[in-house]
Amino acid sequence: MPSANGNLVALDSIVTAYEGADRPSLHNVSLAIGHGEFVMVGGPNGSGKTTLLESIIGMLPITYGSANVCGFDVKKMGTDVRKRAGYVIQNFSFDPLTPFTAREVVMMGRYGKLGYFRRPGRHDAEVADRAMKTLEVEEFADKPIGTLSGGQQQKVLIAQNFAKEPELMLLDEPYSNLDLYSREYVSTVLAGLVKQGVSVVVVSHAFDGLPDHPIRALVTNEGSISLDRTCRADELESVVRAASHHPDNYA
Amino acid sequence: MLEFIFPNIVMCRAIEAMASASIACAILGVIVTRIGVSSIGFTMSHAAFAGGAIGLFLGIPVTIAAVCSSLLIAVLIGPISDRGRMSPDTTLGVLFSMSMAVAIFFIAWMQTTGNGMNATMLLYGNVTSLYQHEVYGLLIVSAIAALFVIVFYKEITAIIFHRKIAEASGINTSPIFYGLLFIIAISIALSLTIIGGLLIFVWLVTPAAIAYQFCRSLKGMFIVAPVVAICVSVAGAVAGISWSLPVAPLTAVIFALVFTFAILISPKRRITNSKS
Repeated sequence: MPSANGNLVALDSIVTAYEGADRPSLHNVSLAIGHGEFVMVGGPNGSGKTTLLESIIGMLPITYGSANVCGFDVKKMGTDVRKRAGYVIQNFSFDPLTPFTAREVVMMGRYGKLGYFRRPGRHDAEVADRAMKTLEVEEFADKPIGTLSGGQQQKVLIAQNFAKEPELMLLDEPYSNLDLYSREYVSTVLAGLVKQGVSVVVVSHAFDGLPDHPIRALVTNEGSISLDRTCRADELESVVRAASHHPDNYA
Repeated sequence: MLEFIFPNIVMCRAIEAMASASIACAILGVIVTRIGVSSIGFTMSHAAFAGGAIGLFLGIPVTIAAVCSSLLIAVLIGPISDRGRMSPDTTLGVLFSMSMAVAIFFIAWMQTTGNGMNATMLLYGNVTSLYQHEVYGLLIVSAIAALFVIVFYKEITAIIFHRKIAEASGINTSPIFYGLLFIIAISIALSLTIIGGLLIFVWLVTPAAIAYQFCRSLKGMFIVAPVVAICVSVAGAVAGISWSLPVAPLTAVIFALVFTFAILISPKRRITNSKS
C-alpha cells in the first residue's frame, strides 16, 4: 500500500511519552524513510533509539504529531502496521523448558498476517521454511527454542520476522548475541532485503561486519535526532561517535 | 448423566461436578501458568469467594453474586495487566487482600447471626448438595473454554510464547487476553460452591504444572492437564464420599502429592549422563 509521499515511514513532529514519565522520551521527531534504505541508528544509552523503533511500529503511544508507516496511521492502526513491518526486539529470554520449537516460533511470524480464525496453510509453511533457510536455522528447527544459544535464538527471531515478508524491518541490537561470522552473514541477508526494496532500520552499537552498501546513519540524543546523513559502512562508526553527546563521546 | 456408572446419586453428582470443574480450570490453567499470570487466577478466585460471601449474607444466589464479583475484578485486572510497563503484582495484591477481607468480614458476621455453617461451603466447597443445573452450567463453561482454545489456538500460543513478540508480529493480543479473563471469571465463580474459594487456585494451577513436567508441546499440555485433573478429581470425589471426608480438600491434597511425584519422575528434569 502506498504511504504518505511514497515513504514507508513518515513521522511528523512526533512526541512519545512513557506512562508516568515526567518528560517525553521522544520530542518533536520528524523522519522520512523511503523504500530500500539501510538505516543504522546509533546514540548513547537512553537517547531514544528503542523508543524510536517502538513508536514507528505503534507499540508506544504517540502523544503528539502524526505518524504514517506502511500506509497506515500508526496512532489508529498500529496492528495493521505491525502486520507489515517486522520488529526484532532487544531483550528476550526464554524458559529452557518452553514448549515451542524454533520452527513453531518462526511460523508465529505469519500469525498476524493471517488474522483471527485462519490457520497456517502450505504457503505459510513454505514461507517459514524459506525464512529458516535464509537465516541458516533449519538444522535446529525442531529443537525447543529455550535450549538454543543466545545467538541461535536471535537468528530464529530474525527468521520469524522474515517469515512475515515485511515491507519494513526494524531490528533492535540484532548483533548483540551474534559471533562475527553471524554478524556478517545477518548483515548480508539484511542487505539482500534492501535490494528487494524493503527498508531496514537497525539499532546497534556494533559497526563491524556491515554490508558494502550506502548506509543512512541516524544518531539520537536526548530524544531527538541529532544527525541524519548517508555514509559508507567503514565511516559509520566515526560518524556516529562524533555526533553522540556522551560524556565519554560514545565510548 | 453418569448414573449408569455410579448408581449412588450423591457420588454421581459429586463426580460430575468435580470432573466438569476440572476441565474448565485445567484448560484455563495451562494458559494462565504459561503466560505467567497465576496471580490473576489467585486474585479472581478470592474475588469470587468475596462475592459468594456477600451473596450468602444478602440472601441472593451465591453463584450469581460470585459471577458478578469475579467479572468486576476481571474488568479491573484487565487494564492493570494489559499495561506491560507496570508490574501488576502490587495492585493484584491489594485486590486479593481486599477480596479476602470482604469475604472474612461477611463470614464472621454470619457466624454471629448463626449462619456460619453455610459459609464454610464457600471456603472448602460442597459436592453433596449440588443441583443438576449447576453441573450443566460448569459443563457449558468447560465447552466454552475448550472452544476458545481451539478457535484462538494460534494467537494463544503466540501470547504464551512471548506477549510482546506476539504483539510485534501483528496480533491484537488485548481481545484474547480480555476473553481469557472473562472465561476464567465465569469458570471460577461457577466452581466456587463445588471446590471452595480457598481451593480453586489448586485446580487452576496444579494440573497445568503436572502436565508441564511431561509435555514438550503445548497441545500435549492442553490434553494432559484436563485428563490429570479429571482423574485426580474423580479419585478424590470417590474416596471422599466413600470415607465421609471433605471432598475438595482431600482432592487438593491428592493434587499436591501427584505434583510432587511428577516433579520426581519428570523426564524434563533428567540430566543426561551418557557421553554420546
